[in-house]
Amino acid sequence: MTLLSFEGLGIHLGGREILSPTSFEVARGEFVCIIGPSGCGKTTLLRAAAGFVLPGVGQIRRNGQLVQRPSREVAFVFQDYTRALLPWRTVEGNVLLALEAANVPTSERAAHVQRVLETVNLQAHIHKFPAQLSGGMQQRLQIARCLAQSPDVLMMDEPFGALDAMTREALQDELSRLVREQGLTVLFVTHDLEEAIYLGDRVVALRTNPTPEQPSLAAMIDVPIEHPRDQLSVKEHPEFLRLRRELYHYLGHA
Amino acid sequence: MPEMWTRLRPWAFPLLLLTTLEVYVRRVSASSDALAPPTQALKAWWALLWLTTDEGLWQVTGFTLGTAALGLLLGAFLGLVLGLILGLSQRAGHMSFLTIEVLRPIPSVALIPLTMLVFGFGVRMELSVVAFATFWPMLILTQAAARQVEPRLLEVSDALGLNAWQRTKWIVLPAMVPRLFVALRLGVAVALVVAVTVEIAANPHGMGYAMMIAQQSMEPARMLAWLFWIGAVGTLINALTLRAQHWVHVRMGGTLPQTSQAST
Repeated sequence: MTLLSFEGLGIHLGGREILSPTSFEVARGEFVCIIGPSGCGKTTLLRAAAGFVLPGVGQIRRNGQLVQRPSREVAFVFQDYTRALLPWRTVEGNVLLALEAANVPTSERAAHVQRVLETVNLQAHIHKFPAQLSGGMQQRLQIARCLAQSPDVLMMDEPFGALDAMTREALQDELSRLVREQGLTVLFVTHDLEEAIYLGDRVVALRTNPTPEQPSLAAMIDVPIEHPRDQLSVKEHPEFLRLRRELYHYLGHA
Repeated sequence: MPEMWTRLRPWAFPLLLLTTLEVYVRRVSASSDALAPPTQALKAWWALLWLTTDEGLWQVTGFTLGTAALGLLLGAFLGLVLGLILGLSQRAGHMSFLTIEVLRPIPSVALIPLTMLVFGFGVRMELSVVAFATFWPMLILTQAAARQVEPRLLEVSDALGLNAWQRTKWIVLPAMVPRLFVALRLGVAVALVVAVTVEIAANPHGMGYAMMIAQQSMEPARMLAWLFWIGAVGTLINALTLRAQHWVHVRMGGTLPQTSQAST
């Protein structure tokens, strides 16, 4: 069942076409990664899907409804976790914000917070402030707050881009696991090919400087590697290597 | 031992200054009516300390501090509310810009004649001048703070579907607190300066007036006692606000000590 549909979505910035009209759909429960070099409009596309900006051309529908403004049913994970967390609220307080916003009854909040923090392995740090957490833990906290929203879809804008390689892989695994467990729908923007293939059920590749012959949508590829995945076996999987080569070809010669 | 020396080091220079002054006044201008040695000033202060009449140290200090505090409260509150409105609503900001730019440069002490006419001598005239003086920095800094809230946090509040009141209560106001404290510390300093100035210039109450009386009755020791006392009170108040600021900073998730040392 289609959850999100992009219908001829185009983006212009300063009179220049950044994203030529692009159409694709995201089904419920699907993990779709959008990759492309800087300036291909992938972040703007995601922000439009979340309702932060209105698309110049075309439209986006969620559950058949036109997307016009942000909604509580869409959770957005920003790359810059330090700026997206409330520094004056503890781990618990940051998660509570989502529950307070949704008017969850006070009696149910504590259990909700506990459950969400357990999913991201932060239950031991419930009374710490964000500044007392490592980068990886801060990003986990932001994900926890988004999960507390009980969203329809999780939108993530290069969420692991600012983390070191080890933490990034650990968080990729955690995300992959909890998405499967909770049957979440995810739209994930990254510029890391391997990350996109490792996480995604499908990869949408965008190129910069679209022309009528070469539109923004360079390729749309299914990833036929079964779950659960783990870093080592996936990255040695022949299918992984083939997809990486294929996508590299599309983007490298954009 | 060396630790003790380190701790005593900041006191060396003030001590040297006081000693120099003491020696200078006693040796060079022993018969001067204009100056008194610090020890005489200390003696005068001691006498004031035990004076229980209206001219006593605590009564006089209480008047100045109380009036300054009330004026600051009024000015800061009005500045905060109006600054919040002007900071959050762009239209209100545009509409008020010219008015603010015309009124703000008026020196607060220039209001003394007007307030004397309206309120006469006493608490109310001094309070209103202090309120006027502290209103402007609070207004301008609050307005700026409201406009400088991290834009990412505003997007978070949109994504969570907060309404305008929730956004103000949970995001905007807490995010402004560090900048508001800077404004408040500025306000505290301004309030004390303006209160004493009003007392020296016009209002026959408080520490400024007490100092004027001592000067006019040729009692330099008492005058100096008041001068040192005003300085000491100002230092104490500054230290207290700094401590309050630090306390709030830590309670709000800050980890680094914000100001390296409590400057005296």
